[in-house]
Amino acid sequence: MGGYNLERLNFLVVDDNKHMRALVKTILHSLGSKNVLEAADGADAFKELRHFPADIIICDWNMSPLDGLDFVRLVRTGKDSPNPFAAIIMLTGHTEMHRVVEARDAGVHEFLAKPISAKGLYSRIRSIIERPRPFVRTATYFGPDRRRRQIEYKGRERRKAILEAQQQADDSGGGLSQAEVEALLNG
Amino acid sequence: MSGDDTEHEIITPPETLKQKVSYSPEGVDQATLDRAEEVVAGLQADYLTWVQDDLSRMQEFFAEALENPDRRGDLAAKIFHVSHDVKGQGGSFNYHLMTAIGNLLCRYIEAKDTITDADLAVIRLHIDAMRLVIAEQMEGDGGERGRELIGGLEAVITKNLGRPAS
Repeated sequence: MGGYNLERLNFLVVDDNKHMRALVKTILHSLGSKNVLEAADGADAFKELRHFPADIIICDWNMSPLDGLDFVRLVRTGKDSPNPFAAIIMLTGHTEMHRVVEARDAGVHEFLAKPISAKGLYSRIRSIIERPRPFVRTATYFGPDRRRRQIEYKGRERRKAILEAQQQADDSGGGLSQAEVEALLNG
Repeated sequence: MSGDDTEHEIITPPETLKQKVSYSPEGVDQATLDRAEEVVAGLQADYLTWVQDDLSRMQEFFAEALENPDRRGDLAAKIFHVSHDVKGQGGSFNYHLMTAIGNLLCRYIEAKDTITDADLAVIRLHIDAMRLVIAEQMEGDGGERGRELIGGLEAVITKNLGRPAS
């Protein structure tokens, strides 16, 4: 048996809840990671990035003064961003369709719903390793290509379908399952 | 916003993670994942300690809200924040009821523009339910008692909101 060795990867864990940071850090160490740095909010994390070359950032959504989404946008498009290409996993209890789309459009690579598990977190890390994506710059977006399965991409029809599904989900007020989140993020 | 993506530039990142990650016998396999899950399960006792802090904070915010009607909105937002943390953590430690109750409380608070005496009663019920789950260490879905607990809270929410929580 074998698998990916995470020893050389640098992880930055950003969450305003110290217990959640401890949980994520414990999981990463259990998976063999050596370099795990913590930050309590988006502003602290952005400062840490200046001297810590994070390969994967695992960040919470709800933080202050700079929340997870603002932090992602700052990493991706901030003029002084030290690492605009860093892989980002958004960790959150918000799984409503419009929020998943909002996170995707801010430039996150992966989205993991809380409560988390070791297997769930590793599956997101593995996905980033196995499916590296080019970055795309448009007038309104900079981040990983949101169309991961390009061959199957149907352009306008798919986007229309997403918007319709988003409307339906928002109308019903329900959150998405992790599988539905993955389907949406995977295009 | 998605915007008009017709004009776009494709950029190859300077390095991919595959360049830093080797596939080896020492890497993460099923046994590693199982051990990691066991390590997380081993944190359950710590969770039961730190969730007490969350419950105490919610109780303090609730007591303040009772005494300060003009600050109820702000204090309900603080209760929401703690409840959101409880929702996000319970299930990781096999306290899925905490996640379910935390979710119901968040959905209820976010549905309210102002916090009335009746709303405070609903909030208190949720905090009391969380305390009960932890005091009696009701793991998993809590069985029949757990279902009754969630069913009761859902009924109270439906009655007060005029619709289910979500």
